[in-house]
Amino acid sequence: MNALQRHRKLDLVWASQPGFRGWFSSVNHTDLGRLFLVTAFFFFLIGGLLAMLIRTQLATPGSAFAGPEIYNQIFTMHGTIMMFLFAIPTFEGLAIYLLPKILGTRDLAFPRLTAYGYWCYVFGGAMLLASMVLGIAPDGGWFMYPPLTSSIYSPGINTDFWLIGITFVEISAIAAAVEITVTILKYRAPGMSLDKMPIFAWYALVTALMILTGFPPLILGSVLLELERAFGLPFFQADLGGDSLLWQHLFWLFGHPEVYIIFLPAAGVISTVLPVMCRTTLLGYGWIVAAAVALAFLSFGLWVHHMFTTGIPHMGLAFFSAASTLVAVPTGVQIFAWIGTMWKGRPELHLPMLHLLGFFVTFVIGGLTGVMVAVVPFDWQAHDTAFITAHLHYVLFGGFVFPMLAGIYYWLPHVTGRKRNFRLGELAFVLIFTGFHVTFLAMHWIGLMGQRRRISTYLPEDGWTTINLISSVGSFVIAIGFAIVILEVILNTASARRGGRNPWGAGTLEWAMSTPAPSYNFASLPHVTGRDPLTDDPKLPHALARGEGYLATPGRWRETLTVDIATGQPDFHVIYPGNTRLPILMAAVTGVFFLSLLLKFYWTVPVAVIGVAVLVWRWVWALGRTEDLPAQDIGHGIALPNAASVDRSPGWWGSLFLLTANATFFGSLLFGFAFLWTVAPGWPPPVWFTPSMAELALGIAGAGVSAVAVRMAIRTIRQGGQPMFAVGLGLVAVLILVAALGLLMLRAPSPDQHAYGATLLVLGGYGLFHACLTALMFAFLAARISRGFTSAARRAEFAIVRLWVDYLAIVGIFILLMAHLTGVTA
Amino acid sequence: MGSTVLTLNGCVGALSTVDPAGPAARTIATLWWVMLTGAIMIFALVVILVAASFRKRKGAIADRFWVLILGIAFPVTVLLALLGYGLFVGERLLQRQGADVVRVAAEGRQWDWQFSYDDLPGQTTAGVLHIPAGQPVDVAITSADVVHSFWVPRLAGKMDAIPGRVNVLRIEADTPGTFRGLSSEFSGRGYDNFTFDVVAHDAADWTLFLQGETE
Amino acid sequence: MTDVLRILIAPLVWLAAFSAVYGVHGVICGQGIETMPRALLVGAFILTIGLQVAVLAALYAPRFASPSPFVRFVSQATGWVGLVAAVWTLFPTTVTTYCM
Repeated sequence: MNALQRHRKLDLVWASQPGFRGWFSSVNHTDLGRLFLVTAFFFFLIGGLLAMLIRTQLATPGSAFAGPEIYNQIFTMHGTIMMFLFAIPTFEGLAIYLLPKILGTRDLAFPRLTAYGYWCYVFGGAMLLASMVLGIAPDGGWFMYPPLTSSIYSPGINTDFWLIGITFVEISAIAAAVEITVTILKYRAPGMSLDKMPIFAWYALVTALMILTGFPPLILGSVLLELERAFGLPFFQADLGGDSLLWQHLFWLFGHPEVYIIFLPAAGVISTVLPVMCRTTLLGYGWIVAAAVALAFLSFGLWVHHMFTTGIPHMGLAFFSAASTLVAVPTGVQIFAWIGTMWKGRPELHLPMLHLLGFFVTFVIGGLTGVMVAVVPFDWQAHDTAFITAHLHYVLFGGFVFPMLAGIYYWLPHVTGRKRNFRLGELAFVLIFTGFHVTFLAMHWIGLMGQRRRISTYLPEDGWTTINLISSVGSFVIAIGFAIVILEVILNTASARRGGRNPWGAGTLEWAMSTPAPSYNFASLPHVTGRDPLTDDPKLPHALARGEGYLATPGRWRETLTVDIATGQPDFHVIYPGNTRLPILMAAVTGVFFLSLLLKFYWTVPVAVIGVAVLVWRWVWALGRTEDLPAQDIGHGIALPNAASVDRSPGWWGSLFLLTANATFFGSLLFGFAFLWTVAPGWPPPVWFTPSMAELALGIAGAGVSAVAVRMAIRTIRQGGQPMFAVGLGLVAVLILVAALGLLMLRAPSPDQHAYGATLLVLGGYGLFHACLTALMFAFLAARISRGFTSAARRAEFAIVRLWVDYLAIVGIFILLMAHLTGVTA
Repeated sequence: MGSTVLTLNGCVGALSTVDPAGPAARTIATLWWVMLTGAIMIFALVVILVAASFRKRKGAIADRFWVLILGIAFPVTVLLALLGYGLFVGERLLQRQGADVVRVAAEGRQWDWQFSYDDLPGQTTAGVLHIPAGQPVDVAITSADVVHSFWVPRLAGKMDAIPGRVNVLRIEADTPGTFRGLSSEFSGRGYDNFTFDVVAHDAADWTLFLQGETE
Repeated sequence: MTDVLRILIAPLVWLAAFSAVYGVHGVICGQGIETMPRALLVGAFILTIGLQVAVLAALYAPRFASPSPFVRFVSQATGWVGLVAAVWTLFPTTVTTYCM
């Protein structure tokens, strides 16, 4: 078989359906990555348009262009769209497109999940766009503080669009994060041990773990605020045992890591593109990995610096001021390592390099003003002024937009397969760079002169007119610059000549394939022995196309392999699902769920929930076999067991990381409970929960027996038996736990009268949801056994269910103890 | 002379944090100028290093220099010093016990402020806070509805008004005068114009005020 | 996976300890605890440093070492990050006013 025949056979198996229809059934990461990036850029343009409206209104004092009602929607949507519908999805799109290629594998870990995440993003984003078109967009600021956003002070549906729409979009982020984590850990080319991973993969891994632990606090906060608005559960009302500060803690527990979630992937782009622009390798690879990890963890210890003016005692503020200054150190390590890379090499002023220079200038200024506001007394003056608006744009534009522009110009030849031919790129850069500083530099000053954030107008006497006018002019210059970028990208995509495979002379694996990328990435998978495989072996692309790598023989399936996390030794063979419309269908049904909540059609909510459950059942069912697969030959004398035959299958890892996000959600709920109890005014509650030792014992027994039962089932299946009894026992045990948690919810004291009862209701509901989910999993296992889908060599599902049972047991017992013990001690 | 410099630099303004009229604002303004100077110097260093990397002939510099000296030792030194300075200033601005502290209260709501006075029980003023000049004043701040923030830029930093809580902010005006204040937490439709005034009286006028004159 | 955990463990311990000390501070001021508040806080600070030193020592110990020199390097670097962060971010327990 020659290269062309191999290509044709592989394409037959891997290609998405042609044309439009292909978009709705594609599970291919190249297609979905491009869709993500184009959609994200579309939202960037909308966010940018909103920015133009803001600047038009603020250009002159007393402007009547947009009154407060409309203006409040405009600035809220500008921030919300940029943060949730542009920045995060751009990272998702880039990671989804790029990771399998640079890691030397065929696709991401869970292709259908990629598609589901994309459609959730599109439908959720559409919801928010609809709110704008209808003039009922959220208007409480992008961080939506209660009580302003409670139903008393924001009675309209605007706030609900934010709480529900953003939560819908966040599913996409969590799905992508689970997938990126599992892909980077397990789906790499053989030989690619951790120390040989491309630096972008390290950054993406760290970012994905941050998403898993950073988003849940916001999801919790949104759930609680929506429950307060819809059902009167007073989590944020001080007179009923709640506290508006709880929202601020939950929001910023998310909000601060969020900005590092935005910066770190851009840093990954810089670490990838800069060395190539300087014809050398990255300086301090190991230091940079350590710095990225340090940055990720430290960023979770900064959140109160957004709350320096809320009356928290000085020692508390000092902890966060200290952490906020410390975080500049790992940032500095990266910056100086990059400058050191430039010194080590011979920098060339190609278009990506210009944008990297734009990054250096802009981000460093943003970082310096960031250190200033980390100093508490200064923040007491600067907080909530235009100084902060200027600072955040310097770090976000400098730290994300410029690196991503560099990335666009760098990878566009890869995406389009065409020669780069950007005549106007330098002009666009000059306009964007100059326009940016003209817009935002002097904004620091008017902040210090007293201009607050989020005001729709100001007085001539204030003395801010000149700077505001200059700033508005600058914003139009930025817009022209971006218009030129779009024009060039379209022209280049549509009409430039076909280009060579590796125009930049880079060393990473994405350049070892033909461009645009084939549906299967590599005709055969490489064996990797260094960080720059293409530099080590420039003939690699030809060798792979000729089938000299692993998995060179196209078969009936979409196949890839997974590796040991640390060493990169191949461990399992994986068979992927093909094109399917299940993801978009499930995203639509999920959308019905969220839309029903939004419009308060509560009778369609359970219908949608059942719909999702049925689709999830079908989703997982589709991966089964009724016969054992023998070890698969992957070439080079290696045969690997199929992933469905092992305990630590990709699905197991996916569940592990999803449960990490879940545990963070639960932990945030516990934090909320503890916070309200110890700090909120209005405690103790008028009525405590009446404990029942019988219910508590029953619940604990149910939890314990279910954990034992699943272990019995695993032992039985390993020995070749059919564990129907154990599965049945587990199901019954979980249903007992369901009863105990249901009773807890029914007996929670007056949830709409005090936050204590409300919290018990939510805790019970959380446990109940997971118990029902786990019961469904036991039922699923029973169905699998009865239809012959399980055996000693097809047992991966049992280990996955065990993870969920263990999680349920721990949280279930915790919840019951908390409810009954607080009743006893009080 | 000082105020001429300020005017030439465009620092002067009724809401300017860099035209301080009280000890807290002055300490913070000094902090700002020190940080600005440091920031400009660090920025210049980075720009010079980046620009110099384009030269054809550069010295060979060890990896460890970039990471350990420039990336770690240098920022650690600067940041520790800054943190120390900042915490020291923060401690100084706290509302410690004192013999001559005057206590007032501020209740914010959409979209006006009600001020009351420990030394004038039963009386409130709307939109104007009266204080004595040259004495520390503790403002007990709270909200009747949503989150607001009490801010008089020329006198001190800001403190949020949170329903269910009372936050205390110490302000002091050096000399008698009127100082503009702003509510600085977004609170909806009327936020743009949600402002107030602080009138600092000399000793004689303050006594008159305490005797019942409320304007 | 153990290698990944080696790299993450020290900063994770710092984050847990930092949050716990902040929580202790919140409870002390929220509940008006008058018995030795400064001693409690400084004690928590010292305990955290002890924990970080223990983790760092484990990362350097041959018994727990990773076979990969790269992972040893990165995990020791993050080990130091954990210790430095503990000292830097929690030293305010010793010198700042706690409930004002």
